[in-house]
Amino acid sequence: MPDKALIIEVIIMFIKLFVIGSVLFGLPIPLTWLERKVAGHIQVRLGPFRVGPHGVLQPFADMIKMLLKEDIIPSKADRWLFPIAPIMALVPAFMVFVAMPVGDKITLPFIERDITLYVSDMNIGVLYILAISGLSVYGIIFGGWASNSKYALLGGLRSGAQMISYEVAMSFAVVGVVMLSNSLSLVDIVKSQSGGFLHWNLFYLPVGPIWFFIFLTAGFAETNRIPFDLPEDEGSLAAGYHVEYSGMRFAYFMLAEYIAIVTISMLSVIFFLGGWDDPLNLGLPPILWFAGKVGAFVYLFMWIRFTLPRYRFDQLMTIGWKILIPLSLLNILVTGIMRI
Amino acid sequence: MGDRLTKGILRIMKEALFVDFIKGLSLTLRYNLSESVTMRYPDEEKWIPYKRFRGVHTLNRNAEGKELCVACELCVVACPTNCITVVPMEDDTGRGITDRVAKIWTVNLLRCLFCGYCEDACPTTAVRLGRDYERACFDLSCAVLNREELLSPGEVPGEFPGGVVVKAALERTAGGIKVKADLSKIKEYKVVK
Repeated sequence: MPDKALIIEVIIMFIKLFVIGSVLFGLPIPLTWLERKVAGHIQVRLGPFRVGPHGVLQPFADMIKMLLKEDIIPSKADRWLFPIAPIMALVPAFMVFVAMPVGDKITLPFIERDITLYVSDMNIGVLYILAISGLSVYGIIFGGWASNSKYALLGGLRSGAQMISYEVAMSFAVVGVVMLSNSLSLVDIVKSQSGGFLHWNLFYLPVGPIWFFIFLTAGFAETNRIPFDLPEDEGSLAAGYHVEYSGMRFAYFMLAEYIAIVTISMLSVIFFLGGWDDPLNLGLPPILWFAGKVGAFVYLFMWIRFTLPRYRFDQLMTIGWKILIPLSLLNILVTGIMRI
Repeated sequence: MGDRLTKGILRIMKEALFVDFIKGLSLTLRYNLSESVTMRYPDEEKWIPYKRFRGVHTLNRNAEGKELCVACELCVVACPTNCITVVPMEDDTGRGITDRVAKIWTVNLLRCLFCGYCEDACPTTAVRLGRDYERACFDLSCAVLNREELLSPGEVPGEFPGGVVVKAALERTAGGIKVKADLSKIKEYKVVK
């Protein structure tokens, strides 16, 4: 019979997993509202306005619509892969959050117990995150193949090619961060950036901003957001891997996309902006700082979406292979020299 | 040669520092923080058309309050869809400008094109197309307007210049839905530069 402390640890871990799961399932609700509102105001119009006050109940209306839509499966679609593809896109997005820290430790008020604000602080956390987020390519490839539609297949292959090519650049950027912070553990990376603005990896001149730019660009490409969303927008024009999906299956793909946006935002904050560090010494709880920084990045995703036009696919692949990778290699050389 | 070289170097530096991206992002940020131009009809605002707008008909009176319509039936003849029905009558009570007034003056709004020919044909400026454009209702009671309704003053007085958005409110009454405008509160649009 395992002892009491171990059982309590396991229970706390399950509670954390439950909280993460429910927060992630509930994330598209504010994010879709925010996206439509930001889209509206950037285009000098109001976004959704009628469903609740300022449209805040609009995501609930959309959710009810998605749940009640007919689930159409093309007759010649692959019988097993077609339902599995949305889940293959969704599960790695959730699994990444096992290694993501939201804070360091908080002390619960009544029980006088410390709980850590991460499920697991692996000492190879960075490697785990890169590996798991690589699995999400499968959801896209399966979706494109299983739809049994020429355009879906082409869109899926293009999107898959885009994701794997920018994974190389993103891995290089993460290698740069590891060189600057001397650790693969995410909590240690945040701790190495404590002590004010100038200790952030972003401001480690001259290589910090370049790593940040490479990571952010690769992040935009990984999540299929503008300016790199040609495979996805072709879904509204002619193709795209999720064109044959309807109702909740399509909602799973959208959910996976929004969770990926939050993942990249959180990783940017952890790697480059000092995580939950409090640079101005205002005394606010660290989780508020973390939430504020991640929120700023989520806004940045939406802001860029409604500003920039999208890249053509050959331009996109040129950027991934011919610009980001040589730049990363050069930057690794300079970082290595600076860290001597 | 030196000038082109400096221009080229400047262009490459600008591209490397993403100057064009920054310009675009700052523009959209400015738009994001500025007021939206959406007209929130019918809950908050309403568009008052110009004086020349061809809306629902009105029958006018002259300055002393006498009905201008002399039931000459020129509007009936001019109407391309035959939607106006006029029956004249003799009246000595001084209701109209002469002793000939209209006993029945109806317009079938379902047939009306709002072309304005009746307005052009009228010799006494009695029939004019007004500025009412909200005629939806649940049964056919709003289809045909008779003389009394046409003589009553409309919501927008004739002198109001129009062409503006004014504050309004949606009123749900037993008789139907009405958007009531407050003509004194004209919305000013701030230009987004």
